[in-house]
Amino acid sequence: MSDDGKFEAPGVFTLAIIFLVTFIIIWLAHAKWLGDIWELY
Amino acid sequence: MSEMRTCESTGLKIDKTAENMVMLNVTTAIIFLAVGGAAALLVLLTRWPAIHLLPVEWYYRWLTAHGLVALIVWILFFEMALVYFGSAILLNTRIAVPILSKVVYGLMLVGVTLVAGMVLTGNADVLFTSYVPLQAHPLYYLGIILTAVGALLGFIHFFINIAVAKKEGKYKKTLPLVSFGLMAGCIIGIMTLAHGAAIYIPTFLWSLGILESIDPEAYRLVWWGLGHSSQQINVCMMVAMWYMTAAFLFDAKPLSEKLCRTAFVLYILFINVASEHHLLVDPVLSTWHKIVNTSYVMHLAVLASMIHAFAVPAAMEVALRKKGYTNGLFEWLKKAPWGNPGFSAIFISIILFGFLGGITGVIFGTEQFSIIRHNTWAITGHFHGTVVAGTTIAFMGASYQFIKIFFRRELIMPGIAKLQPFVYGLGIMMLSICMMAAGSFGVPRRHWDYNFSDAPFGYQFDPTVDVFMSLTGVGGVIATVGGAMFIVVTLGSIFAGKKIEK
Repeated sequence: MSDDGKFEAPGVFTLAIIFLVTFIIIWLAHAKWLGDIWELY
Repeated sequence: MSEMRTCESTGLKIDKTAENMVMLNVTTAIIFLAVGGAAALLVLLTRWPAIHLLPVEWYYRWLTAHGLVALIVWILFFEMALVYFGSAILLNTRIAVPILSKVVYGLMLVGVTLVAGMVLTGNADVLFTSYVPLQAHPLYYLGIILTAVGALLGFIHFFINIAVAKKEGKYKKTLPLVSFGLMAGCIIGIMTLAHGAAIYIPTFLWSLGILESIDPEAYRLVWWGLGHSSQQINVCMMVAMWYMTAAFLFDAKPLSEKLCRTAFVLYILFINVASEHHLLVDPVLSTWHKIVNTSYVMHLAVLASMIHAFAVPAAMEVALRKKGYTNGLFEWLKKAPWGNPGFSAIFISIILFGFLGGITGVIFGTEQFSIIRHNTWAITGHFHGTVVAGTTIAFMGASYQFIKIFFRRELIMPGIAKLQPFVYGLGIMMLSICMMAAGSFGVPRRHWDYNFSDAPFGYQFDPTVDVFMSLTGVGGVIATVGGAMFIVVTLGSIFAGKKIEK
């Protein structure tokens, strides 16, 4: 998305979304692990 | 009055002195890369268990030489070329103080020669970090100080040049993005070298016997202000080369230049605190301080890298779509000029820096994980992902472009040049991943004999480690072949390439 609001790079945008979703999945898995650790205490 | 010419391919007005200094520094850098690469092969063939080439003294000597030459000297000389490129050539102006550029080069060359001489004659077996109380010959420290002073003057010269350019109306509100990125590198450079002076000058005096002792805690604390921060200069300058390639090859502009500039500012503000992960076991800093700096603050610097890593390919995509590659999501990527090593090297740098160096840096740099991985071979794998797969490959790509623009020579052996970034990238990727895999089993970094033969308390690693150690060797040999291809093509082109008349 450019400064004037045009959607100009759909390829890189798609890659960014894939990256973001992967990151969120990994982060949630990490959060679950943190929860498990919390349970131990 | 300075002599200027207009570049046919970029349209830039190039000052002859600036061009000469770029060519001199790039050529010197490539010669030193050949030395650093040869040292790398000797180190690699010693760590490869089946070969174990060098005796112990020579292993540590060549390891010290490899660290200094490949990590500092090759990169620093190339960055001096970028100082003149970003502050004079890109602004269509002259070098403000030509004599200073020669002094910088001279100081660095004398300093590096002293350091190399001391290391290779066995007078400085102190490794890259030269932690006290290990002591080297005073000339070793003097050599480092001279190199650092030279580089410091070079970075200061950048600001003199842009101040003169501003006064002469060569740019209006702000610097072009590439120069802006290089300026961020110079700011971090000055901060870094101030740390270097603060620690190496007392250490030099200590080696002369003038100071009685140096506190090891203080040394580590200040040294890492130099040691890790110096790598952030490389990051800024590498990213500037990404933007330069997008602009030179495709006439591409970032979708949001403001965002890219903000990302460079994030580097200046936050990236240096990454150094704190070297100090996790030091009792001086509080736990709160360590956790905050190695997580929240570091993530702001990482955010900057993520912005650049998407902004550069997006700029390229937009430019290539304008050239007509509009089918589907990725026709632009498929039709990109993969046969041009100036492009392919840069794209490989973006991918490998992000996925190998960047992600592992975030993981290994966090407070909880750093304590487990520190001083294992995994860290060596991480920084070969950043400095080699990122910076060195980006500078290789820039070298190919500079040979055409400044040396005005055709590349010799174009077939080899076309393959070179892929061979080197594949080798370094394999080396880096396998180092990290071996390190995750606890294999120590730097060590001549990771099996600890004859130690009073033996330790047997999981046999899987041998596989990863050997695969690291294979990856390293592939990378050495790729590195040799680069040296032959670039030096051959510089000295014997066909002159481009127009």
